[in-house]
Amino acid sequence: MNEALILAMLRQRAASPVRLVLLAFLFGMPLLVAVGAPAIGLSVLGDGYGMILVLAAGMIGQDLSSGVLQLLFARPVTRSSYVLSRWIAVSLAGVALCTLQALFCALLLTLRSAQPEMRTLLLVIGDNVLLAFGLAAVMTLFSSLLGGFGDLAILLVVTITGKVLEAIAQFANSPIMGRIGTEIGIFVLPKIALAQVFGSADVPWFMLASYASTVTLCLAFAIVVMNRKELSYASSG
Amino acid sequence: MPAPGSATGGTRRTPWALLALAAVLLVLRIVAGLLEAHHPPDIADLVVWRPISGSEGMARVTGKPILYDFTADWCPPCRLMKREVFADPEQARKISVLYIPVRVLDRSREDGRNPPDVAALQTRYRIDGFPTLVVVSPGNQPQVLNGYPGRKQTIAWLESAVGKARLGIRPGSVTTPGAGDSIGR
Repeated sequence: MNEALILAMLRQRAASPVRLVLLAFLFGMPLLVAVGAPAIGLSVLGDGYGMILVLAAGMIGQDLSSGVLQLLFARPVTRSSYVLSRWIAVSLAGVALCTLQALFCALLLTLRSAQPEMRTLLLVIGDNVLLAFGLAAVMTLFSSLLGGFGDLAILLVVTITGKVLEAIAQFANSPIMGRIGTEIGIFVLPKIALAQVFGSADVPWFMLASYASTVTLCLAFAIVVMNRKELSYASSG
Repeated sequence: MPAPGSATGGTRRTPWALLALAAVLLVLRIVAGLLEAHHPPDIADLVVWRPISGSEGMARVTGKPILYDFTADWCPPCRLMKREVFADPEQARKISVLYIPVRVLDRSREDGRNPPDVAALQTRYRIDGFPTLVVVSPGNQPQVLNGYPGRKQTIAWLESAVGKARLGIRPGSVTTPGAGDSIGR
């Protein structure tokens, strides 16, 4: 990992007005709802999926399309270090925003006499931390495959494929197809419900192994894909 | 020394350690998936259940309907519903947003009798089997789902029940589509 690359990525995100507007909307909207309907509690936050997606979209693809990568790799920077730095930068930004949002929400709820339990607050923050690192890993892989915002297109296609398979499985009564659809859904949305990890009688090994394998597979394949890319000023990326 | 730009040297080091770790974790995932398919783990449900006392007051203040889950520890369909519906993070969040969820746990088999508040609710809603879901909103008749008809039907019922509770429904809406255990009394 490379500190300069992480900071460059964060600066790149902060310099995009469209992203900032989207982030402000996704950050502020649940807080407004929390003020209007405090009885909903911290459930109003949902997960930080939208914000992490806004941060992650085009994380490598944009550099690929704009020619930044050709310049960057003329320097002694390993491709694995570039990929991991992008992943860490998006994850950390996602963690920071989700945590800040949860803390603001808890503060607003407390002011409206609906103080959430500390355990619930910590679980919400913990779930979002894991979601940020997981979803950022998936987007790292997708972004390494296509230029521009092609990662969003891949995410959309894969997600819809999973849902369609699940729907067909219900219609055709095919458990195998249903399982494939579910696995695709787990792959594109890697998360761990910490309440189940800490509150269950049995350890949910499948949930933990699924999350860890998705993150490592996505990062490993993203590095392999980037290693195989031939970049030159004449190429289209 | 590897040629510049080769897939093994220079700036393109193959992440062997990461690939090996990913392969090991993938195998673990498959093994865990197969094991859990045959022996489903007893995982915690994610709904934040409210105590019986005070739930009606909370429903009046918030305007949300109460969702009573009449259940028992010994009942297999109840455990299945817990695993498939209440342990699903998305469904648990929806239930917490739309309802005041209250679990009414039957202890008559274990303790010989139920606590007075549990017995009173079972009598009021004429519960004769588990699981039974009852949606109650002020001024409306209760909506009842007897037994566990499966994940999809239960989720659909929960979504429609909250809509009916808001709009007001005709008296006596009881659905009995699924598997359940008799209360045995």
